[in-house]
Amino acid sequence: MYSNTEPDNKEHKKIFSVLDIATIGVMAALLEVVKVALQAVPNVELVTLLIIVFTLYLGPKSLIAVWGFVGMECAVYGLGLWTIMYVYVWPILVLITCLLRKHRSSQWPFVVLASMFGLFFGAMCSIPYFFMGGYATALAWWVAGIPFDILHGVTNFIGAAVLFTPLTKALDRISRMQQ
Amino acid sequence: MKNTKTIIISVVAVLAVIAILAGVYFALAPKAQQGSKSVTVEVVDDQGTTKSYELKTDAEFLSQVMDELTKAGDFSYEGTNGDYGLYITAINGVTADYDADGAYWSILVNDEYGMFGADSQPVADGDDFKFVYEVYVQ
Repeated sequence: MYSNTEPDNKEHKKIFSVLDIATIGVMAALLEVVKVALQAVPNVELVTLLIIVFTLYLGPKSLIAVWGFVGMECAVYGLGLWTIMYVYVWPILVLITCLLRKHRSSQWPFVVLASMFGLFFGAMCSIPYFFMGGYATALAWWVAGIPFDILHGVTNFIGAAVLFTPLTKALDRISRMQQ
Repeated sequence: MKNTKTIIISVVAVLAVIAILAGVYFALAPKAQQGSKSVTVEVVDDQGTTKSYELKTDAEFLSQVMDELTKAGDFSYEGTNGDYGLYITAINGVTADYDADGAYWSILVNDEYGMFGADSQPVADGDDFKFVYEVYVQ
């Protein structure tokens, strides 16, 4: 039945080029550096914005950079409940960014996305608590963190409004150089 | 022009979500913890007038309840700390002077004479304390 002796005629299409792999590695490293550089300031982070910008250039492949970043975080801080949150929270951002890709001409959809992501960060992170302690635990955990979420949303808005255009311009220039 | 509109819509959208979150927070955030024991305190003064207070407290001893009532206003007391603990001399401005006319402030716990001074009288949930101005007649 199976005659696998003949070589596959179709050229095997590689999902990741060498360039992709290098880019993803640098992006993961950048995420970690930016995270560490700003972690002294509570609720101020550029990880959200960087993931959005990376996803606009790499598409779903940036997921690998995101999980690379999560892996490095685990290596630095050890495993915790936040590990579960990080594994699914950041990919949600990648997914939404992919869906918004065609609106790239303006920065505002992405500024709003970055801000909303900050505002709902606590809500999204409360999901593991739902499985641990039920609805009430998750709700209490989320509500207690709302002031921080609001701060997170505001700083994400400002950060994205200021830095989205310079970052995309820089990445435009780099991707032009690659061609 | 279109850009200005986009900016306004973006800012309004974010502000709307912030407002909703703030609303949720103020509606559901844990309120300042109330005391877990509810007690009533009644003061019967030298005219026989009764004034009653109800409060929730975490106080262990009656004197702490009295301090909380004082802080809340509408209640005051004076006393001396002697060998037998707090001796109440005045409540709500009414001084009982035993040496002058045999008057004293007695403490009733659930309508029975208390066994302790105010600073060692334990407080339990549902307790009813009365401070009654009484005169010892020989």
